[in-house]
Amino acid sequence: MANISLKNVSLAFMVKQDSGYNLKDILVGGFFRKHYRMPKQVQALDDISLEVNDGERLGIIGHNGAGKSTLLRLIAGIYQPSNGSRKVAGRISSLFDIALGFEQEATGWENIRFRCYLQGETPRSVDNKLQEIADFSELGEFLEMPVRFYSSGMRVRLAFSIATAIDPEVLLVDEVLAAGDMAFQAKAFERMRATIAKAHLMVMVSHDLERTAELCNRIIWLEHGKVRQVGSAGEIIPAYKEWTRIAASTGKAKPGGTVLSAA
Amino acid sequence: MTDYLNEIWRTRFFWMSLVRMDLRAKYRGSALGMGWSLIQPIAMTTVFCGVSATLFHQEIASFAPYVMTGLTLWSFFSQCTSMGCYIFHQAEAYIRQHPAPMAIYPIRLMLANTFHLLIALSLAIALSIWGTGFPGILPLLSLVPSLLLIMIMGWSISCLLGILNVYFRDVKHITEVALQILMYLTPIWYPEQLLREKGLSWLVNANPIVPFLTLVRTPLLTHEVPSVEMYGLATIIAGGFFLLAALNLRQRESRLIFFL
Repeated sequence: MANISLKNVSLAFMVKQDSGYNLKDILVGGFFRKHYRMPKQVQALDDISLEVNDGERLGIIGHNGAGKSTLLRLIAGIYQPSNGSRKVAGRISSLFDIALGFEQEATGWENIRFRCYLQGETPRSVDNKLQEIADFSELGEFLEMPVRFYSSGMRVRLAFSIATAIDPEVLLVDEVLAAGDMAFQAKAFERMRATIAKAHLMVMVSHDLERTAELCNRIIWLEHGKVRQVGSAGEIIPAYKEWTRIAASTGKAKPGGTVLSAA
Repeated sequence: MTDYLNEIWRTRFFWMSLVRMDLRAKYRGSALGMGWSLIQPIAMTTVFCGVSATLFHQEIASFAPYVMTGLTLWSFFSQCTSMGCYIFHQAEAYIRQHPAPMAIYPIRLMLANTFHLLIALSLAIALSIWGTGFPGILPLLSLVPSLLLIMIMGWSISCLLGILNVYFRDVKHITEVALQILMYLTPIWYPEQLLREKGLSWLVNANPIVPFLTLVRTPLLTHEVPSVEMYGLATIIAGGFFLLAALNLRQRESRLIFFL
């Protein structure tokens, strides 16, 4: 039984304008206070409670900086909540930032293995999938070459083929519907649909409202890190569209909130 | 705690394949490949031995294995130190995609360096057999626990510096300078006695790397098992660094990603 349970989850973190601290900040900052750029506190998620059960297909919508991707990463366990509790039952498969994280010097074949191992596969289970992943990516002989020589489109193809070759229990998807060139996109969307059908439970983030409505049976609308509304796709998406239209005409549709824009 | 170790074990295929890749990538496209791992310590030992034999009138047969063990251990520790600063930055894309235990990234670096250490060390053992004769089974076996301590020390150093450098970007520059200085202050290619005779014993005693050097050199050069005190001292140092690294990791692991 796959299940996600979030209780009063908040996430706040400090963001420094440049990442990390350096010697100059501490020495110079101590003498000339005004030059010292204080780290800013960002409240990315604010008191979110959420229950997702087996069979549900949840879509997260909201404007830029509303906390959609952060929420997804928190469910994945990449971010730990600063307050509240997170419980996830079932093996998590996450599809985000998939075009990143290739070992540049390693070949396509080797990278398929690294990725699969990271997703919890064993050498034996990877052996069974290797050919299927290679075929779907249509990269052929390029798989013998180091990934360093791949174009960005080729990387996305490879990443997508690996990421969707799994049998997911809890599937987390962030904006990967647009993968590769036109021909590959159609194929990728079919594959995505099949993967989602296999998953026990799915949570996705997308700006494509039509696709979201098509793939999800429940929608959560986030605003400034808070839940604004939860309900069926037929209920929430028209309301969200209406709000966006009004916000655009009154100039209120700025990305993020006052603090969130610092992120 | 057990959960954490289980997670490390569960992701073993991932980090082991990365170690293998690091080793292969290092020599990819070079004609001699792994041969370079042998040539480098040989060349360095030859040069330092030549210089020392002339300057300090050392006897080559016993001094060559002394220099070679020094050089191999030094290059292990200095690699763990200088590359340790980058481990979490290098793994950023993985960290952002998958919540794997962070301890595996220092393991990756430590294991790749251990491999080179083993190659060079077997060469040093061969050299010492040639120079001073077979040390005996027990002294040779005493290298196994020593090596374990050295690996723990290597992991701890890279983990600590990796965390530090995420928060404080000057660390990598500081360690570069510190390593340069430490290289001259450590009895790697000159006899330890030289410092002690000059009244600089404290410099040898304060150096955390020296006990590990002694652990490896004693069986090869004097054909004796290192003293219990020496093992104790090395265990305290490695254990101390390990605790410091593990506690830091435990406390900061979940927040590290916000500073990458």
